[in-house]
Amino acid sequence: MDFTLTTDQSALMSALDRLAKPFEFRPIDFHGFALAGDGLECELDDGGYFDIAQVPELGSLTAAMAVERLAWLPCTVDTALSMLVRPQLPGEWPRPIAVVENGRPGRFVATAKTLILIDGDQVSLARVTPGDVEPAESLFAYPMGRLKRRPAATVLSAEDAASVRTWLRVALAAEATGLLQAAIASAGEHLSVRKQFGRPLGSFQALRHRMAECTVLAGGVRWLALKAAATGDPADAALAALHAQESATRIAYDLHQMLGAMGMTLEHPLHLWTYRLKALVSELGGRGGQALAVARHAFGH
Amino acid sequence: MDFQWDAEQQSFRDTVRAFLAANLPADWEAQAHGPGSESQSAFSKKFCGALAEAGLLVPHWPQRWGGRDADAWTAFILAEEMWAAGEPRGGQYMNVNWIGPVLMRFGSEAQQARYIPPIARGETLWCQGFSEPEAGSDLASLRTRAEKDGGFYRISGQKIWTSYAGHADTCFLLARTAPGKTGMSVFLVPMDTPGITVRQIPSVIGEGDIHEVFFDDVRVPESALLGAEGQAWEIARAALSLERVGIPRFALASRMLRRAVERLRREGRYGHGAVEQSARAHAACEAARLYSYQIVDQRRHGTPTGPEASAARYATVMCERLVGEFVVEHLPEALSGGDPLLLAHHQRAIVAGIASGAAEIQLNLIATELLQLPREPR
Repeated sequence: MDFTLTTDQSALMSALDRLAKPFEFRPIDFHGFALAGDGLECELDDGGYFDIAQVPELGSLTAAMAVERLAWLPCTVDTALSMLVRPQLPGEWPRPIAVVENGRPGRFVATAKTLILIDGDQVSLARVTPGDVEPAESLFAYPMGRLKRRPAATVLSAEDAASVRTWLRVALAAEATGLLQAAIASAGEHLSVRKQFGRPLGSFQALRHRMAECTVLAGGVRWLALKAAATGDPADAALAALHAQESATRIAYDLHQMLGAMGMTLEHPLHLWTYRLKALVSELGGRGGQALAVARHAFGH
Repeated sequence: MDFQWDAEQQSFRDTVRAFLAANLPADWEAQAHGPGSESQSAFSKKFCGALAEAGLLVPHWPQRWGGRDADAWTAFILAEEMWAAGEPRGGQYMNVNWIGPVLMRFGSEAQQARYIPPIARGETLWCQGFSEPEAGSDLASLRTRAEKDGGFYRISGQKIWTSYAGHADTCFLLARTAPGKTGMSVFLVPMDTPGITVRQIPSVIGEGDIHEVFFDDVRVPESALLGAEGQAWEIARAALSLERVGIPRFALASRMLRRAVERLRREGRYGHGAVEQSARAHAACEAARLYSYQIVDQRRHGTPTGPEASAARYATVMCERLVGEFVVEHLPEALSGGDPLLLAHHQRAIVAGIASGAAEIQLNLIATELLQLPREPR
């Protein structure tokens, strides 16, 4: 048990910090929902970052840290599925990767080259051909897309399907970790500056305690996500995804309450993280689905 | 970063478990009921004596004081296994966690020679004289006075909610030697000193846990002063930083959650609502576990623990709450004679957010130090 970063992990995170720096601010004229990080995607691809889980010195744990770091950014790219799930798929599948769950619109579906199709208990993989997918307008702050027609798909064995579900949970928790931290930091900045009754909002205990509780929850999500990424254990993954969805549900609500009307505007970036969190909360069967997975894997139910 | 136990850590855990299997009777909690009761106090001395003989009471202490300089993980693995077993060390957990280490850091040679060896042998109990009727979270407003009188101090005042006071040998007492926060001092006071009266306060926690302690012109030699006059705040901070992540409450909460779930499953009562609530509680326990490990890792690397320790404590409070609520809702008969272990855990868990400082104080620290939010005006 050792929570210190290895030299390789530190070096990679420093390199990622440098790479992310130019993308830390959104374009001043962007007042929309889905800010796709095309430039970021090219840089990550050029640097080989999508394959870090396969580097023996780095592995899935470091990939999860990278996903967490990149989820802080206002622009978004499919990092979680590419970095954490793709290495676990049976065979070679091109990225970007997206999930279509029971036919619903999904994140990055319109630009994906590989689709993970979840239909009830069945999980299949498909290569996207032109005309299979289209963009979908959405409140969720990801580039969303939907199926226009169902591509030819390979149905996975029960064992492979279970592994994919495990890594989807890890990916969800890792991405939620970064989103939660970024959203809390964004709200914290507002509370430090915005004054009412003659003093900063952040000096009122009612809000301080609520923010602190959000912070504790988000920190817990981080540790569970990192552990799940390190072990790849189905029970750890289910716990991480459950805690992520539980925490995201509460925190997204709390932060919008604290920002008041400012948080409703597209001028303020909070929605970029909170509405991504809401998308994550809706996935993989939501909190009820994760709870069942926890009961199955941890309590043998 | 590595989430696996290394061979040495795993082997130490196995050693502790083997000791518990051999030395802790299955029904010990029924025999020694109540965390500060007479029976538990007697039991803890017998049990801690055996632990000491096996080298498992203070392995994390320096060799000079009977330890083997083991690292912070060793201390925490030991604490996890003890707490998961219901904490058979009773009030002595406090001795080995922070009273001994604080004496090593701030005590005179005479104080160390007098007080540390009995702790290392597992034969003594301490109580912590901090809270007063008018000084709980606002500890700096305490009123118990210690006035210099030649080579002595005369102590007068009242402490309250003092754990283990009924059977403690010594009190780690905070008293005022001058006005203000810098006028607080620590005294090591034998509980049989004339002028001390202890009254048990009946409580939901169980027999013998909390007390009122009255100091009526109690005369102690100046050698009872720990450190210097006015050093109490520094000493108390050192003690609380060890105490904050000192009790791995998640270990017992997690064990009791599993116990409750297993029974509900056996009886066909583990329905949808119970599944969801138990899964949430389990996630909270594991989050608290990893949070605490982060602090232990900081200790092991000699990094000063910061506001993350407050976050770890609060995460632990939340997991205790969720497990407690789960049992109340889905296995209520446990609190009405149906399961003495779940009952004992529930009673101990009540204090999770209160003992060693209200959890809301931790939230304040997190808001100021982790989130850098502006302070409240005072």
